[in-house]
Amino acid sequence: MFDPSTRILVVDDMMTMRKLVSKVCKELGFTDFTEAADGVKAWEALTNANPPIGLIISDWNMPNCTGLDFLKRVRGDGRYKGLPFLMVTAEAEGHQVAEAVKSGVDNYVIKPFDKDTLKSKLEAVYAKLAK
Amino acid sequence: MLKLDVNFFKPFIDGTLHTLKVQCSLEAKPGKPFMKGKGPSIDCEIAAVIGLTSTAFSGTIALCFTKPVFLALMNNMLGEKFEEITDDLQDGAAELLNIIFGHAKRVLNDQKSYDIQKAIPTILRGKNIQTKHLTSGFSIVLPFLTDAGEFHIEICTENKTL
Repeated sequence: MFDPSTRILVVDDMMTMRKLVSKVCKELGFTDFTEAADGVKAWEALTNANPPIGLIISDWNMPNCTGLDFLKRVRGDGRYKGLPFLMVTAEAEGHQVAEAVKSGVDNYVIKPFDKDTLKSKLEAVYAKLAK
Repeated sequence: MLKLDVNFFKPFIDGTLHTLKVQCSLEAKPGKPFMKGKGPSIDCEIAAVIGLTSTAFSGTIALCFTKPVFLALMNNMLGEKFEEITDDLQDGAAELLNIIFGHAKRVLNDQKSYDIQKAIPTILRGKNIQTKHLTSGFSIVLPFLTDAGEFHIEICTENKTL
């Protein structure tokens, strides 16, 4: 199971999606959120966070630094190799998913999504990390 | 000579119904599609528009709302009460279109190998927006009815095979 006190970094260039992700996470009991509008700002938020970020939920398509670029940067830094990273996308096709998995994403959510979908994805992420 | 294939529109209808149900907790009913200009007049105060590019055709898709319907969808989707469409809130129209487009793109690329490309939506806002698709192809209007009112999707394509 996941810990609802975990601090979540929500990354999306659209304010409405950041609000939506946070809303669904709140329905699951999470209360601590940090938001960023692209991968560059997300990196700043991640590296400056205190208390530290415990989970990243990131959009795929963003200007400046995409979700995939951000994922690669996170996984390229030894401090964040085990940090749970969930990708949210509206356009998941096979080759995209394969690239994200290769780059170290823990799971992905295809929009539209609700509380139950996100819960099952998070449970899968934390079950994998617990092994 | 252009031909209409109803199977082309089905993923957009299915995607719209599914997206509204899951993301906005709103049941929508599809109305009877009609050719643009040959049906009832359409009220639109905010529209998200996205380009359709594939090896088989090109075109545009517009997701069009009146202000009350759009605000009702955003209220449901985000769990807050919004009275006005702000610059931040207008993103919601683009996001809904992104999700609907993503669903239709996935289905059509899988089933028909259209190779529809990724695209970025644009937002239009104003009183009584009139969308004009600059193509020699057809423009179909897909109306949807919800408890909050009616909205519609316009699909305009210019192609060789539909």
